[in-house]
Amino acid sequence: MTGSRVLLVDDETIFTRNMSKLLTFRGYTVTAVNSGDAAIRELEQNHFDVVVLDLKMPGMDGITTLKEIQKLGLFTETLILTGHGSIDSALEAMKLGAYDYLTKPCEIDELVAKIEAAGAKKEGKD
Amino acid sequence: MDAKVTRTSSSARAAEPGDVAAVRTAAYSRLFRKFVLLTLLCSVVPLLLVGWGINLHYTRFAKQRMLNYFETQIDYHRKIIEMFISEHSSKLQIIARTHTREHLARVENLQEAFNALNREMQAVTDLGLIDAQGNHLAYVGPYDLMSRNYAREPWFRQVMEKGIFISDMFMGFRREPHFIIAVTQLKNGEKWILRTTINTEAFRALVENVRIGQTGQVYLLNQEGLFQTSPRSKSTIMGVSNYPMGPFHEGIQIRTLDGLQDDQGRTKPRQIASQVWLKDPRWLLVVKQDYAEAFDDVNYANTWTLIFLHVSALSILLASILITRHMITIIKRRDLQADQLNEQVLQAGKLASIGELSAGVAHEINNPLAIILTERQLVLDAAKHLPMEGPEFREQLDDSLNQIDVQVQRCKRITQNLLRFSRRTESLIEPVDLNAFIREVVELMDREARSSGIKFFTELDPTLPPLLSDPSQLQQVFLNLITNAIDAHDGMPYGSIRLTTRAEEGLRQAHVAVADTGSGISPAHLARIFDPFFTTKTVGKGTGLGLSICYSIVKRLGGSISVRSEKGKGTEFSIVLPYTPPPELQESLAENTARAKGA
Repeated sequence: MTGSRVLLVDDETIFTRNMSKLLTFRGYTVTAVNSGDAAIRELEQNHFDVVVLDLKMPGMDGITTLKEIQKLGLFTETLILTGHGSIDSALEAMKLGAYDYLTKPCEIDELVAKIEAAGAKKEGKD
Repeated sequence: MDAKVTRTSSSARAAEPGDVAAVRTAAYSRLFRKFVLLTLLCSVVPLLLVGWGINLHYTRFAKQRMLNYFETQIDYHRKIIEMFISEHSSKLQIIARTHTREHLARVENLQEAFNALNREMQAVTDLGLIDAQGNHLAYVGPYDLMSRNYAREPWFRQVMEKGIFISDMFMGFRREPHFIIAVTQLKNGEKWILRTTINTEAFRALVENVRIGQTGQVYLLNQEGLFQTSPRSKSTIMGVSNYPMGPFHEGIQIRTLDGLQDDQGRTKPRQIASQVWLKDPRWLLVVKQDYAEAFDDVNYANTWTLIFLHVSALSILLASILITRHMITIIKRRDLQADQLNEQVLQAGKLASIGELSAGVAHEINNPLAIILTERQLVLDAAKHLPMEGPEFREQLDDSLNQIDVQVQRCKRITQNLLRFSRRTESLIEPVDLNAFIREVVELMDREARSSGIKFFTELDPTLPPLLSDPSQLQQVFLNLITNAIDAHDGMPYGSIRLTTRAEEGLRQAHVAVADTGSGISPAHLARIFDPFFTTKTVGKGTGLGLSICYSIVKRLGGSISVRSEKGKGTEFSIVLPYTPPPELQESLAENTARAKGA
């Protein structure tokens, strides 16, 4: 599924910059934004296969962003990647339709595996 | 600002446990006094008032009855005496009127008249016929009085004047106390007298033959206060009485006599007396009794009523004091339980705050860790595609990048432990791998233990299945036990804490032991270590709640906790946990499962 379009949403700019490089290096088309609002705007304008979303962000947090994404009705899978690894937030995100859940720090290979799985699911939907 | 500081310190001072205890003790004392006072006002006082009232009424009633009895007695006596005298006066008058002097002058005729007088009772001693000069014309009786002349005797003058005369007791020629009834009769211009002497013994018997208790007396006094009959005391007929007669009065008079003296000059006890004046002769009839004896029944009933009343009041008071004391004890216990509950809530609140803080810290650390890891990956990716100068450099680079990964993973484990700790404060049942759980707790506490020179050893039973339990509460139990175990090594250079798990398949329960090599607990303290607020730690170091919380958590989870300790050698806490929680916690499990399915 290399070549999938990935939207990275995280308020840590260094993290998004690094992760963009790593994913791009692995063949993905990556767009990085640093807030929930920016993510929604990006999704309204462009198509993405997988969204990698942080939960704890200033302004619109990850859960609200996820709700907004669901409202858009896109064929996009969302992966949660957060440092706040509580079961409660994971359960809530899954209930809202997130594909899977990863806690920071995570290995790039682990993330790639999840993106691939999410992409495969999205392809199935398409 | 200064004012604020002062206020804060003053409020802190007000909340000191000693002050609170003193305030509470004062409040309990007030409550005790109020309850007892209320009981006194609502039961003892009304009881005493009603009891005293009834007793007073009864006493008055009974005394009045006694006085009425006295009145009846004296009235009855008066009538008997008056009837006796009047009967004999009448009989004498009839004899005088129906017989001539000449007829009676013959001794056999006088004897016949004497017999007629004595027919019903031997009430007269003699009978004499006396002429106007005071000489006996005839005499029937035991005394030799025929030669006596009565012209100078007081009674003679009285009877000659009045026609009938009843004398007081006098000695006369016979030299013994007696009284006479004399009547005159005038025939053919000449007066003659028929005189009889009343049998003193018969008269005394008539008057005195009345028994009123042990101290009762009935007697007659003439107007000069001389005894006309002898009372029960040693005084004799015609002896002088010290009875305060008072002036003549009509009807019956009831009196209370105080301070009278007997013959020996001793003060007599208080007496009650009723008195009535006879019409003829003018004698005073006295019925007298010791006051104490007269009202003995009343006093007896009175005394027992009052004893019963006061014993009842005392019993109520005593019962009230005991019940109140019991109630206060219950209130004290409840207050203590409320305090413990508040303390636990406070403790739970503290843990929740620490949990929130931990979650925040974990998140803040996880983000830089994630960046470090991406940086490492970038370097790793770059290194794969860029030429490296020399094998040592590549080896060093790989080694460093690996070490970065190892340390990041180590940090991750720490933050995950912190997050797990912060997860929840409410009870939530889920499957718990006790062995893995204990390893995590040990890892969390390892640094603190090492800094005190203490090593952890674990003997974990690999066959132990996952338990259905509350991990956050179990974590609190093990953290408390391990903290205590570390503190038990205070002042020791090194020591160890051994954690053991063992499965008991038959009973479907797990055994966990936390044993330390610390200072141990003395037998005196051992019985109290699960009591709230009991601590042997120095002030400020322990709240005395840790083991109490452990105990209540383990109990709530359906398990049990026990302790074994030897002073100077160490302590071992044994916990038994069921594989499945008690029914009341099953609901929590069902809820948890439902949530997981919903996800």
